[in-house]
Amino acid sequence: MSYELVALLMFSSMMLMLMTGQRVFGAIGGVASIAALTLWGIGGSDIPFAAAMKVMKWYPMLTLPMFIFMGFVLSESRIADDLYRMFHVWVGPVNGGLAIGTIGLMVLISAMNGLSVAGMAIGATIALPELLKRNYDKRMVTGVIQAGSSLGILVPPSVVLVLYAMIARQPVGQLWLAGVLPGLMMALLFIIYIYVRCRLQPHLGPALKDEARNIPKREKYRLLLAGLLPLSIFAAIMVPFLNGWTSLVESSAIGAVTAFAAAVVRGRMTKKVFEDSVRQTLAISCMFMWIILAALAFGAVFDGLGAVKAIENLFTERLGLNPWVILILMQLSFLLMGTFLDDTAMLVIVAPLYVPLVGMLGFDLIWYGVLYTITTQIAYMTPPFGYNLFLMRALAPPEIKLRDIYTSIIPFVLVMVVALALLMMFPQIAMWLPNHVYGK
Amino acid sequence: MWRIIGIYVHTVDRCNHAIGRVMMYGLFGMIAILLWSSLSKAIFTVPAFWTLEMAQFALVAYYLVGGPYSIQLRSNVRMDLFYGNWSEHKKACFDSFSVFFLILFLAVLLYGGINSLLYAIEYNERSPTLWRPLMWPVKLVMNFGIFLMLLQAISEFFKDFAKMRGVNL
Repeated sequence: MSYELVALLMFSSMMLMLMTGQRVFGAIGGVASIAALTLWGIGGSDIPFAAAMKVMKWYPMLTLPMFIFMGFVLSESRIADDLYRMFHVWVGPVNGGLAIGTIGLMVLISAMNGLSVAGMAIGATIALPELLKRNYDKRMVTGVIQAGSSLGILVPPSVVLVLYAMIARQPVGQLWLAGVLPGLMMALLFIIYIYVRCRLQPHLGPALKDEARNIPKREKYRLLLAGLLPLSIFAAIMVPFLNGWTSLVESSAIGAVTAFAAAVVRGRMTKKVFEDSVRQTLAISCMFMWIILAALAFGAVFDGLGAVKAIENLFTERLGLNPWVILILMQLSFLLMGTFLDDTAMLVIVAPLYVPLVGMLGFDLIWYGVLYTITTQIAYMTPPFGYNLFLMRALAPPEIKLRDIYTSIIPFVLVMVVALALLMMFPQIAMWLPNHVYGK
Repeated sequence: MWRIIGIYVHTVDRCNHAIGRVMMYGLFGMIAILLWSSLSKAIFTVPAFWTLEMAQFALVAYYLVGGPYSIQLRSNVRMDLFYGNWSEHKKACFDSFSVFFLILFLAVLLYGGINSLLYAIEYNERSPTLWRPLMWPVKLVMNFGIFLMLLQAISEFFKDFAKMRGVNL
């Protein structure tokens, strides 16, 4: 049997297994194990455990339980409630205002962490119930949170850009700066989309009327002060980090402690809140880590088949094409692979092939880092197999079905594609800030 | 027969529950290690060099040994495109078949893990870092976690199988 056929068989049997409703990590891991054993006999049995070791050695993984814990502390103890009231009062009267506010919150959260999953954990635990309570359309809400959380890996600190920097041998500082403006631009595009859509279909995001208008000016400004809480947590994470006193992972622990301390000081850390946030952190962290473990095992088998090599051949054979065509083809293949590989696996497997090619074609590698990041994020969000989709499902209340989550992301993915196109046409959006700061 | 299965299910569930409840607080262990790591940079001229790996070991123990409890909490995502609309009985029928994929995955994971552990013991494997910790203790913990996960998966199978047959365990 040819390797292409094996790859196809693996992919389709995985899809079939997922349809049965078995736990996702069991379905992926099971297919990976069967494939490894049939392909390489007993020698293939090492692959899943090797994946477990790889998960262990990926240091930034430690930020995951920290940020998940932070999100649960902030939401369970309801100390972020004031922030929500702030959004209520200030943007609530606009159609879709709370969704716009959520994007704003996501920008803040993105600046506090480097993984999109953490943003989603916070978004889904704080924003989701609030928005649903206010009769926002559930598809609108899940879409907003997934789209907003994708800003997490664009706005510094970004873990994905750190890994990219490692592979492309580019300075992390410049890459991070290059992500700032595209991140903000994408946030702006999301906001424009939400505003226009809710203007046309007000039932998707009903405006808050009397509730918000009857609040006196004094109270309004007092609530604005409440917004200082996330900013101070942000400062606790970023100040030592930017000064080089702590690493990203250490900063995430400081963030978790700061959020915990804030809840204690506000007198919101009851026994129940403590118990719930600690237990939920274990549950969500385990769910996520086991999926990554299984996906890495699957990716290792897939890689062993030379599926990636085949794609490389496709490109080198067509090198006579216009560099831009090749670049676009590469982005498309990224999207395709992103549907079944996780972003670390993609970076480790694919980027070493693509990055040199991009450099050879004469493109700027820092600019490409930003393109790459947005593309992986789109891949991450698109069905049938986006990790964000499953994570969203795990975090969302049961009335939101997977089908809702699938359809919710379509408009936002289109907006992201527009952002990608803008970035390709105007590289200055990414390059202006690093060039300005580093004085090129 | 059902009596023995019932005893197995109850024992495994209770043990994994207790272990998971303890592992849950491992979170604070990780936080403590990372905080010490940041503090040691400020206090001493030479920062602690063992914290990075220690934190990684802690995370691995946290999610592998805590895994069975997360299954009990039903936190593992399923693709509920169809599954979500099925009856409890139909869910149990499908699960008692598809859970073998999970069991197989865990068995292969354990097999590879034991090989890796034996290798680490035989050759006194150490991590290639400044701290140079021995690798067998962490691998032992990993295998322990995977083993518990396997026990839990089998327990899940028995529960679904019993539900399918209409037996009350």
